[in-house]
Amino acid sequence: MTDLVMEARNVYKAYHSKIKKKEADSCGETPKQVVEAVKNVSLQIRKGDIKLIFGPSGSGKSTFLRCMAMLDIPDKGEIYLGAECLTKPGADLNKARARIGFVFQHIYLFRHLTALGNVELALRQVLKLPKEEARKRALAALTEVKVTDCINKYPAQMSGGQAQRVGIARAIARNPDIILLDEPTSALDPELTGEVIDTLRDLAKEGTTMLIVSHEMPFAREVAEEMIFYDEGKIVETGPPSLFFNAPNTDRAKQFMTRIINRTTRE
Amino acid sequence: MDVWQQLTFLLGGVPLTLSISVLSFLIGIAIGLPLAFVRAYEKEVAFLVSAYEKVFRGVPEIVLMLLFYFGLGPIFPFPFSNAFFVAAFVLGLRSGANQSQIYRGAIRGVGDEQMIAGVSIGLSKWRAIWHIMVPQVFNYSTAGLGSEYALLIKDSAYVYVIGLAELMTKAIQLKSIPPGDFVTPFVLSAVLYIALTFPIAFSLDRWGNKRKKKIGL
Amino acid sequence: MFEFLLNPIYQGWIVQGLLLTVEITLFGVLLGLILGTLLAIGDIYGGKLAKGAIAVYVEIFRGSPLFVQLFLAVYTVPAILNVQIDHYFLAFLVFGLNSAGYQKGYMKGAMETILGDQMQAGLSTGMSKVQTLRHVILPQALRIVIPSWTNEFCSLTKSTATLAYVGLFDLVSAGMAIKGITYQILPVWIVIGAIYLVWITGFSKIMDMIYERKKIPGIELVMQS
Repeated sequence: MTDLVMEARNVYKAYHSKIKKKEADSCGETPKQVVEAVKNVSLQIRKGDIKLIFGPSGSGKSTFLRCMAMLDIPDKGEIYLGAECLTKPGADLNKARARIGFVFQHIYLFRHLTALGNVELALRQVLKLPKEEARKRALAALTEVKVTDCINKYPAQMSGGQAQRVGIARAIARNPDIILLDEPTSALDPELTGEVIDTLRDLAKEGTTMLIVSHEMPFAREVAEEMIFYDEGKIVETGPPSLFFNAPNTDRAKQFMTRIINRTTRE
Repeated sequence: MDVWQQLTFLLGGVPLTLSISVLSFLIGIAIGLPLAFVRAYEKEVAFLVSAYEKVFRGVPEIVLMLLFYFGLGPIFPFPFSNAFFVAAFVLGLRSGANQSQIYRGAIRGVGDEQMIAGVSIGLSKWRAIWHIMVPQVFNYSTAGLGSEYALLIKDSAYVYVIGLAELMTKAIQLKSIPPGDFVTPFVLSAVLYIALTFPIAFSLDRWGNKRKKKIGL
Repeated sequence: MFEFLLNPIYQGWIVQGLLLTVEITLFGVLLGLILGTLLAIGDIYGGKLAKGAIAVYVEIFRGSPLFVQLFLAVYTVPAILNVQIDHYFLAFLVFGLNSAGYQKGYMKGAMETILGDQMQAGLSTGMSKVQTLRHVILPQALRIVIPSWTNEFCSLTKSTATLAYVGLFDLVSAGMAIKGITYQILPVWIVIGAIYLVWITGFSKIMDMIYERKKIPGIELVMQS
């Protein structure tokens, strides 16, 4: 059990959302709706695991991933990072997040810092590395994701693909125990997803522990050891890619796979 | 007195005008910045900040100066019997209320996702604010800060009521020198004020726009 | 300490002072609105010369303190014209002209966010430019500048404290008169300050409510900071 990197135990998270304006106008009021995004989900991730979560949009995958990094605080259940329980009151979440890399769907680079500045910041301020050391490691991370040509550019001056690779560099630079990636390619133009996928493939080869929310099926088939079908706040089915690409057990997964594969081949 | 003598006399008031406005602007930053973040991120005490803003945006600066200088000065000679202190204090607190609103708009403009990204790399809330939000908030609010500084230069004219000899007071003194020139002192002082406010607001605005474009805000 | 509040004479002074403060502010904001709107239209549609003149006007009234402008009006203008002019009228004029300098900016910003497609839509229905301005652009612009007005109203009200220094009987003058007799300096200024505070806060509340009621979904002015 020593190689357990992260674990979620019966994690539950609900939030209130206002019904979309159009619908609200037609009934004359703005009722609030409780959305149960994560309903008692449990998941274990061991060192070197590459797991991929997929499922319909709005099913709560991203919320679950944010809960894992304690960016959203779960209502119930526990999150463990190694032996440490993060959901216990008084847990040092900042220290924990320093050991968890997170890559956002909409990238969220710090707009006032260059690529180098974005990667360096946590090394200097969180790991407290001396200046040269931080710079060396930041440059190494940027080299690894192959964006050395824009180290001195600001986010606004980069393409989406470059920006997202800088986002990945920011996550890996401090050698986290695990990297959580929330649909890292879905906000990018189709022709730019390739470069980000290549970067992720490289990370997979090096044995990086990763939990990825993604719909990139060819990529999933190639690198994921386990795929997790997530729908309506629950893990519906898990298994190796071969299972999902051939014959998933549940009807819902079957339907979803057919839809998504048709879409991919059409493109 | 000819025009040049009058101008020289008025220019003698400019250092005081500038030092009051600079000092109160700095006090305004020191108050406004923390208040804005408290109001944005500490919902339980946000009402205190809003009350502070209401008071200092709802009572005339002149009345506050009269209150602190003539009202509290005799009771607490230190520090309220010092007119310069009262001037910077009142305008600084007022500017803090204004700047708090300016920064709050900027915090909204910079966006929550920047905060989330900051926390995701392991920074604590207040360190994320310091390293991620504050620099961007300043870039975002240059135009507002430019006009706030111009406002402070103009409002420093109010210190006439507590007898500090800055530009406005000097103009009134000039008017009172027999035989009494009612034209030149006020025209000149208006021109001087415009000369003081124009370049600052203008250049801050331009610098801010350039900078904003660069970082894509 | 606060007994002076019970004296009917002092109460009368306070009411008299408050009335002047309120009058000058309201008239000032109104004159500023009319003039400011004209200046905004001039700045958008006018030629180079008009634009330049408007820019100079705005810079003069926004670049110097209202306090100085008031002294200019009360001392300098009559000295140049060599006539006696009522201070009350001059103060009203200064507040209006000053406010126009600011309101021009608000109106221009509001109109520009609406202009583009709305102007084309108006013209496409056969209305003239002026008609479209009058019936399409202005009704929208006036709604979205309400929050800016509220600000303008607060800052003008605070500026009326200068009126005491050109011999008009405003709230500050009332305070000075009472303090001169009672010597209750601190209590007097606390009371005067509180009256301003209640009046300004209350009025802004009302304006906020009007804004909420008049607001059109989807149209909002995104003011730069």
